[in-house]
Amino acid sequence: MNLLDWIVLILTLAGIIAYGLYKSRTTHNLDGYFLSNRSMSWGLILLSIMGTQASAITFLSAPGQAYTDGMRFVQYYFGLPIAAIVVCIVFVPIFSKLKVYTAYEYLETRFDVKTRTLTSFLFLLQRGLSTGISVFAPSLILSSLLGWNLYWTNLFMGGLLIIYTVSGGAKAVAYTQQLQLIIIFVGMFLAAYLVVNMLPKGIGFFEALHISGKLGKLNVITTGIKNGKFNWSDQYNLLSGIIGGLFLSLSYFGADQSQVGRYLTGSSIKESRLGLLMNGIVKVPMQFLILLVGALVFTFYQFNNAPIFFNKSQISKVESSSLRDSFYVAQAQYYVITKEKQKTVAQFAQALNDDNKARVNLKASQLQFLQLQSDSLRGKVKKWVKSAGGDGNDTNYIFLRFVVDYLPAGLVGLLIAIIFLASWGSIAASLNSLSSCTMVDFHRRFSKKPITSEKEYQWSKWYTLAWGAFCIIVAMFTYNIGNSLIEAVNVLGSLFYGVILGVFLVAFFFKNIKNGFIVFLAALITEALVLTIFALIKLNYFQLGFLWLNPIGAFGVILFSLIFNWMPNNKRKQIVLKGGAN
Amino acid sequence: MNADNDRPPLFKSWKQWYVFVIAFLVLLIILFNFFTKYFS
Repeated sequence: MNLLDWIVLILTLAGIIAYGLYKSRTTHNLDGYFLSNRSMSWGLILLSIMGTQASAITFLSAPGQAYTDGMRFVQYYFGLPIAAIVVCIVFVPIFSKLKVYTAYEYLETRFDVKTRTLTSFLFLLQRGLSTGISVFAPSLILSSLLGWNLYWTNLFMGGLLIIYTVSGGAKAVAYTQQLQLIIIFVGMFLAAYLVVNMLPKGIGFFEALHISGKLGKLNVITTGIKNGKFNWSDQYNLLSGIIGGLFLSLSYFGADQSQVGRYLTGSSIKESRLGLLMNGIVKVPMQFLILLVGALVFTFYQFNNAPIFFNKSQISKVESSSLRDSFYVAQAQYYVITKEKQKTVAQFAQALNDDNKARVNLKASQLQFLQLQSDSLRGKVKKWVKSAGGDGNDTNYIFLRFVVDYLPAGLVGLLIAIIFLASWGSIAASLNSLSSCTMVDFHRRFSKKPITSEKEYQWSKWYTLAWGAFCIIVAMFTYNIGNSLIEAVNVLGSLFYGVILGVFLVAFFFKNIKNGFIVFLAALITEALVLTIFALIKLNYFQLGFLWLNPIGAFGVILFSLIFNWMPNNKRKQIVLKGGAN
Repeated sequence: MNADNDRPPLFKSWKQWYVFVIAFLVLLIILFNFFTKYFS
C-alpha cells in the first residue's frame, strides 16, 4: 500500500465513524437505543438487513469461492426469498403485535421463562463467538497479506465501530450501514470493471465468460447428483440450497436477534415486510454479481501468472519443512502449465472470434485438461501447507491478492476500506443485538429492582461496550487455537440455529403444545443430538453438509415436543414434575 | 409499529407480493440454468 491508499483508507474509515456519531442522537430509552423508536422506512431496513448479513468474508470469500469451486455457491441463498415470505406471514405480525424488543420475549408469553432464557442464551453464545470470529477472519487475511500486526488489526477491526455503536445504538448502525453499502458496491463495481479492462486486447466481457464457463467456473446451477445418486455431503446444490438454505435463512431472519432487531425498527408492519421482501429479491442477484467478479478474476489469471497458492505467508511454512523440494518441483511444473494455458486460452479466444466451432471445442477440451493438471498441483500444495502446520485453504486470499497485486493506487486503499466497512456493518448489528438480549432477556427480566428508562439506556450502552470487548478478546484468542476458523462462522450458526428455529416453529404452528417444559426439554435433547452428529461428522463416521444440521435441529425440536406432548398424561406429569415446569 | 398501516404498495395484497417474490426466484433459477448451460 502506498501513501494514496493510506489516505483513502483513513479518510473512508474516519468518515464512517464521524457519520455514525453525527447520526447518534436518539431518545434515552430502550425503544430509541435498540429500535430507533420504530421509525425506519423499508429502504433503510433493507440496507440494514443487507449490511448485517454481508460481512467482510462475503466480499473476500465469495470471489475466491468462484475462482476455486465456481459460482454454484449462489444456490446457498435460494432458500432466502422463501424464508423472507414465511417471516413476513408468521413472525412479523406476532412480534409487532406484542411490541417485543427481542424475538425471545415472545417465547415467555407463549411458553415460559425457561424456554425464553434458553433460546436467548443459545443466541448469545452463538452470536458472541461468531462475532469474535468475524473480527478475527478479515484481520487475519489483511495482516497476512499486508504484513500488519494481527493484534492491532483485530483491535481496529473490532474496536473503532464500538465508538458509534455504543453512542448511537440501532439508529447509528442503520445509517452507517447505508453509507457503507454504497461505498462497498461502488468499490466492487470498479474492481469488476478493471478486471475486464485489464484483459488482453480482443477479450471482452463475453469472451471472459466463455473462458471461465468452459473451465467450469460458471456452474451456477448444480443438481448434486453423481452417478445417478444424490450426494448428501455436497455443500452447494439446488436441493441443499433451497431446503437447507430455507431453514438457515428462516432461523437467521426469524430467530436471530441481529436480524430481528433490524426489521423491528420499521415504522409499520408494511415497512418491515417490504424491507424483508426486497432483500429476498435483491440478495440472490447481488450474490451472483459478487461471484461473477471471482469468475472474471479467474479469467484474468488465465492470461497472467497465477500464484500456485495465494496466501504467501503460509508458503514459508512449506519452504521451511522437509516438503520444500517437492514444493519447488510442483511450482516449476505449475508455471510450465500456466504458460501452456496462456497460449491455449489465446487460441481459444481467437477461435471464438472466428466463430470456428470445431476449433473452439478442441481448444476448450485442451484447456480443461490443463486446468485439471494445475488444479491437481494446487491441491498437492494445499495438502503440504496443511501438513506443515499451516492453513491449507487460500480461498479467502484470492480476491484481495489480485487487488493488492494488480489494482491501481487509491483503489487498493478503497478495497481494503471495504473489508473494514463490511465487517463493521455486520459486527455493529451483532453488538446491538447482543446488548438488547442481555438487557431485555436477562437484566430487565431478572432484576428485582425497577430502574428508570435513563438507567436502562445507560446499562445498554455498557453492555454494547462489554460485548465489543468480548468479541475482540475472542478474536485475539482465536489466533491461538488455529487458523482454519473462517468457515466456523457458518458452521457455528448451523449448530444452534436449527434448534432455536424449532422452538419458534413449535410456538407458531403447534398450538396444542402449551407446556413450556416439554419444549425446553425437546430443545436441550435436540441440541445434544445436533452436537453429536457434528462430532461424528468431524470424526469421519459419516459425511453430511453442514447446512443439513439446520433442518435436523428444527425438526428434532418439533418431533421431541410432539412425542412428549403425546405421552400418556401420567408419564407427562412425571416429566413436568421432575422439571418443575410452571 | 403501526399495524393499521399495513396495505402493500404496488400490489393489491401481500399474497400477490409473495407470489411475485417466488416467481422472481423461479425466473432467476431458470435464467441461471440457461447461463450455466450456455457458457459451459
